[in-house]
Amino acid sequence: MRNIARELRVPIHVSESFDARVMDAVRALPPHRRTTLWSRLTTPRTRTVRVSPLWWGLAAAGIGVLAALGAIDAYSDVNQAAQPLVAALSAPQKAERPERVQFVLVAPEAKKVAVVGDFNGWDSRHAQYQAQHRGGGVWSVTAAVPVGHHRYSFVVDDSVWVADPYAPRVVDSDYGVANSALVVEHQQ
Amino acid sequence: MEVDSSDAVIVARVLSGDVEAFATLVARYRDRYARYAFHMLGNREDAEEALQDAFTRAYRSLARCEAPERFGAWLFRILVNRCRTAGARRGRRAKTFVWDDAALLGASHEHPAERSAWREEIERALGRLRAEQREAFLLKYVEEMGYDEMSQLTGVGVSALKMRVMRACDRLRELLSEVHSV
Repeated sequence: MRNIARELRVPIHVSESFDARVMDAVRALPPHRRTTLWSRLTTPRTRTVRVSPLWWGLAAAGIGVLAALGAIDAYSDVNQAAQPLVAALSAPQKAERPERVQFVLVAPEAKKVAVVGDFNGWDSRHAQYQAQHRGGGVWSVTAAVPVGHHRYSFVVDDSVWVADPYAPRVVDSDYGVANSALVVEHQQ
Repeated sequence: MEVDSSDAVIVARVLSGDVEAFATLVARYRDRYARYAFHMLGNREDAEEALQDAFTRAYRSLARCEAPERFGAWLFRILVNRCRTAGARRGRRAKTFVWDDAALLGASHEHPAERSAWREEIERALGRLRAEQREAFLLKYVEEMGYDEMSQLTGVGVSALKMRVMRACDRLRELLSEVHSV
């Protein structure tokens, strides 16, 4: 086996055009947010979001609406480090159309919140999934999501990914980071 | 190009909007990881496609790299998954395994013809392994990872990985025994 392994450890060089191809593909993607290097280095990778009792009440109400509508299969799983709150509800639509889903996140310290998922190509700049600040640290956006099983997450301030503590977690096969599971069903 | 900068510094620059800084990471890891992709997929075209896909996915999700100082390990995980996907796709398309002489550029050749033939036999045998056995063998013997690290990378248990490596070794010995004594 040593002989085989030694032969296979010989370096493999990519073609000369490889770097250019990768960088062309990368340049075609949306650039990451421009901030100073210092601010990037000093920005914590995780953030604790405090939730007041008022918002816990709103969360319970939101989940109650969800259960009543039966539109989304989302279950509570409180995150000990961060406590963002998301609720999703859907309004009845025609069967052949995507369902309207409302995403809600309580993040008092956030300056920007977006929803990313397999339904929008994990694009945090997608115009239809930018949450609006509703006051008191509550961010929400209502957007069309195709019927089916989805993975999603929140992106706070273009840098902090926050999974939904009220939904089942699914481990992303590529990145090893837990996302949230979302099931959208047709409304009768 | 800042060759001496740490991965964490370069990742921070890219996340701050400096797209061109990503080229340093590409140059740093392309050849190191091309070897794995090449041996998993068996030809340069598929290997470069998987590697390019891994780099672009890494760029797109760079904010999710929780340990930028270990960007290389994170990228490798993405590449391993890309190779699995590409391998499955290729398996459905056609069962071909192409020997690529150009891939050996840069290698030293004491006896070019004999050595090239020997490598060709190894690559052919490697290509005949089951994908999960080939993956485990390459991670263990070529990338020289420990089983715990392999388990973390692949999501497969240590016992199962040991079994895959053992079966891969047995199969390689069997396939190559007719050509050379291993």
